Amino acid sequence: MRRFPAIIVLAIAVASCGGTDVDFSQVPPLPPTSFAEIEATLESSEIPVVLNVWASWCVPCRSEAPLLDRAAAASPEVRFIGMNVRDDQDGARSFIAEFFPDAAIDHRFDSGGNIPVNLGGSRGVPLTFFYAPGGELVTLHTGVIDERTLALQIDEILAR
Amino acid sequence: MEFSLLGAVFFAVIPLYITIYWEARRGNAAACSKSLWDIALTAGVVGLIAGRVAAMVGDGVNPLTHPADLLIVRGGVATGPAALAAILTAAWMGRDEVWPVLDGLSAAAVAGLSGWHAGCLARDACLGTPTDLPWAMAQSGSTVTRHPVELYAAVALALVAGAIALWKMRGRPSLGVPAGLAIASSGLVRLATEPLRPTLSSGPIGWYWLGLVVGLSIAGWRWNVARRSERHAPPATSQ
Repeated sequence: MRRFPAIIVLAIAVASCGGTDVDFSQVPPLPPTSFAEIEATLESSEIPVVLNVWASWCVPCRSEAPLLDRAAAASPEVRFIGMNVRDDQDGARSFIAEFFPDAAIDHRFDSGGNIPVNLGGSRGVPLTFFYAPGGELVTLHTGVIDERTLALQIDEILAR
Repeated sequence: MEFSLLGAVFFAVIPLYITIYWEARRGNAAACSKSLWDIALTAGVVGLIAGRVAAMVGDGVNPLTHPADLLIVRGGVATGPAALAAILTAAWMGRDEVWPVLDGLSAAAVAGLSGWHAGCLARDACLGTPTDLPWAMAQSGSTVTRHPVELYAAVALALVAGAIALWKMRGRPSLGVPAGLAIASSGLVRLATEPLRPTLSSGPIGWYWLGLVVGLSIAGWRWNVARRSERHAPPATSQ
């Protein structure tokens, strides 16, 4: 009976040593983008846009990724753009394969990480921008977003 | 860094502490030798961890391979598993006097839950579905007015906490009945306010129903046990 806690600890240690490598060969490389291109995309959009800034090395981004996946599936009337920043292609593709395999999210690559700053955000990740049709910034959420806030802000941009 | 969640925790802990302190001076859980404050805090922390793990598993994130994600509480805490783990922890910590401990914590726990909902003021997260009611609120820069749904829940739970505390002080309820009613009323308040919350899914409605049914069952069972023991008690002898 005394061995039971030790066995549990050992099992957890062994399980946590398991690899997290994900096969991302099916995920195409992310297209590099620029501030001008993103700005034009937002201004020409006739539907609201949620722009999420993420990186594969960002632990909080991993935490909110499943939520964004669900939101994209639940809100077809909103366009979701994922902006990968200060990352490498392999890391980004691996992250997408793990967390957004089938999500309706249009991912872009910004290796310098300057676009979110030019959009009015910061260099921190994650960030989530909510745009009304035509590119008007309605809300900028800094840090991990929770389900209620995401649902509320989507409701707000849909009402504009 | 963003500390609004920590602010909301203070909103929860302060009424929890005040209620335990206030009730202790009025004979709350007099038969209980445990520290209710210690039990409440431990149960809260265990519930938080369990709820976070459950949320991670539900989202397909392996807590063993991504242990650091546990710390990202804002990423989500599954309410039902969190509540269940907290109640079981409190019951286990007070296992030799379960009902006095759970009854002793009942009003304080509901008051803490009320504070947690009121903590939306610190997190700027009180708003729900759109409405034109006179007390509706809008977020800054918006013309869409909404139900302050978290404040509804906070007020309802505060009333429940007050009623349970007064009932324990004056009514001498049967052992276990306040705990059962506290669980049931918490589930009921969440059920009643859930349709007013913006959500991407249907929300953990099943857990709220479970809380309501289990809470009422506990209250009914404990009330019945008390009545039967009263019936079978030897009659008082007059001198």
